[in-house]
Amino acid sequence: MIEIEGITKRYDATTVVDDVSMIIEPRTIAVIVGTSGSGKTTLLRMINRLVEPTAGVIKLDGADNRSLPGYELRRSIGYAIQGHGLFPHRTVAQNIATVPVLLGWDKARIKARVDELMTLYQLDPEAFGPRYPHELSGGQQQRVGVARALAAEPNVLLMDEPFGALDPIIRTKAQEDLLAIQKRFGTTIILVTHDMEEAVHMGDKIAVMDAGKLVQYAKPAEILANPASAFVETLVGASERPFRLLSLGRVRDAVEKGSAEGEAIPGDASQRDALAELLWSGRPALPVKGADGKPLGRVTVDGLVKRAARPA
Amino acid sequence: MQIRFDKLGVVIAAIAAYAAFAAPFATFRANRIVPGQARSILEALPTATGTLLLAIVVIAALIALFRTPLVLRLAASVVALAALALLIGVAGTYLTPAGNTFARVSPASGFWMLIFAFTLLLADVLTRLNLSPLGRIGVLVVAALAIGLLLISGSWDNLSILKEYANRADSFWAEGSKHVTLALGSLAAAVIVGLPLGILCHRVEKLRAGVLNVLNIIQTIPSIALFGLLIAPLGWVATHVPGAAALGIRGIGTAPAFVALFLYSLLPVVANTVVGLAGVPRAANDAARGMGMTDRQRLFGVEFPLAFPVILTGIRIVLVQNIGLATIAALIGGGGFGVFVFQGVGQTAMDLVLLGAVPTVALAFAAAIILDAVIEMTATKRRVETA
Repeated sequence: MIEIEGITKRYDATTVVDDVSMIIEPRTIAVIVGTSGSGKTTLLRMINRLVEPTAGVIKLDGADNRSLPGYELRRSIGYAIQGHGLFPHRTVAQNIATVPVLLGWDKARIKARVDELMTLYQLDPEAFGPRYPHELSGGQQQRVGVARALAAEPNVLLMDEPFGALDPIIRTKAQEDLLAIQKRFGTTIILVTHDMEEAVHMGDKIAVMDAGKLVQYAKPAEILANPASAFVETLVGASERPFRLLSLGRVRDAVEKGSAEGEAIPGDASQRDALAELLWSGRPALPVKGADGKPLGRVTVDGLVKRAARPA
Repeated sequence: MQIRFDKLGVVIAAIAAYAAFAAPFATFRANRIVPGQARSILEALPTATGTLLLAIVVIAALIALFRTPLVLRLAASVVALAALALLIGVAGTYLTPAGNTFARVSPASGFWMLIFAFTLLLADVLTRLNLSPLGRIGVLVVAALAIGLLLISGSWDNLSILKEYANRADSFWAEGSKHVTLALGSLAAAVIVGLPLGILCHRVEKLRAGVLNVLNIIQTIPSIALFGLLIAPLGWVATHVPGAAALGIRGIGTAPAFVALFLYSLLPVVANTVVGLAGVPRAANDAARGMGMTDRQRLFGVEFPLAFPVILTGIRIVLVQNIGLATIAALIGGGGFGVFVFQGVGQTAMDLVLLGAVPTVALAFAAAIILDAVIEMTATKRRVETA
């Protein structure tokens, strides 16, 4: 659990982060959204003390984050940034091993962990381990960056626009990978982004920041349904709102009784994808199948449109 | 088949043609200080040998002139250079009357222009071959061995520059080692002081402009003036600091030369350290801090290795500059190859000037090739990503 209590950061006369308090539950993903200059990155960097706060306290699992020297604290927290920040003079394997080496793990343990992470990220350790970062594609570099952040099995992972430099297709893949890995390791993730789409997709909770202040901190559905201010409403995007709401739900939860013609859609797909398919094919209903391929029922345009409406 | 000219080859052929037919190949003087008489290739060599050399030069120039395979051009330049190197020695023996120890034969403008033309051809071929760093050092070693063999074999013994050497063989090596010690020693001192200073300038922004400006000003002081400026303070140190004089610190001699070279070396070392460290990708630095490296671990693990090729470039500049500048040290009794240069100037004996200048140029040239190769080797391993 991460408790942020009354955190403020001032540079001379400018207040970059203004009295922010929030609690991030363990094993969840909290996404901090805001425009450039909203203080979201500074807030993130105060958690691992790359930036020291002017006032306030941050507690990790109950302990003040100033109870350790900064560098020791940072070794226990994963850190991944936009443009990955890989060391160009070190191989992929050496890059991933950075924190374990700093912590003084023995060689066998480091190698086992590096191989495990590379395999997890679909990078063959034999083929990619000895390569240098510039020999990798952008998507591969990003995966190595996240693998490096996870190398020392941190409970907390801080990510600053980690997918910012990726093209849309690779970004979607990277987001899915991160969600899968978060489930597997149970890591608490705090992710900074300016992309509301990404926030709604990734976050268990979303924190919206504006001009250094925390404007709203709530579940995605709540943010979409009841934006706390005009700013949040703009950020959500009035025209996108219903579709973002649908993207939060699974088809399985919108199934109605009955049957429909044509190819079935999997129950795991998002309701937004189902609506898109219905609109595109001009049909009133789609059959739904479970993971085992058995029919579950159908989804209808009417049913989905009702779900896209502002919750009561 | 269409005949096509090589652009650089046109220049090479023009220089070679002028040098071979219109410029003197060797100069003959009755003794070492009287004005010399010019001798063309056919006058300076026995008829058969001279004709052979002319033929080699003409064929090699023609190969250079047209677009020909690289291997052929390589062979032409090597054969022409080897023939010139061997036959200038033959000219020395041929032109010197038997038993005459006063007469001097030296290479003249035509010879030097031919050497220049075919070295240009060789350099062009080597560039186009795109040799690896180790390959280039290999070529340098082969060339050095070939020249060494020619010197040992005695085939150049009748050339004026080697006659000057024969008179000064002992002091030549003594001054040579002084020269190298001065150049390398001041470089080492500059690296020991300049690297930490550069790191400090990188970390403390307020220091940067001040330090670099002071070093810039030092760099603009003419070397002779700097020697002069150092006489008083070093003289004071020698008389007032116990033990300083015993260490060889004096107002004139090696000490001011060393200090001056050291001061000149600081700017390239410090400036390149600052530039190199500033060029480390911001994201890599941020990631290093974010993952819990201490400042020292970040410096030695990330910043320094990434800045290394740039710092090495600064060291290369300093080394080549120092080898050249150390010549001036002779002016204030600091020794080195400059001793022969200034003696030669004083006696209007150009051969003696060459005895000091040629090894200096050769040393600087070799140092540049070796360090360039080392820089390339370190840079390819540590290439910065373009993403």
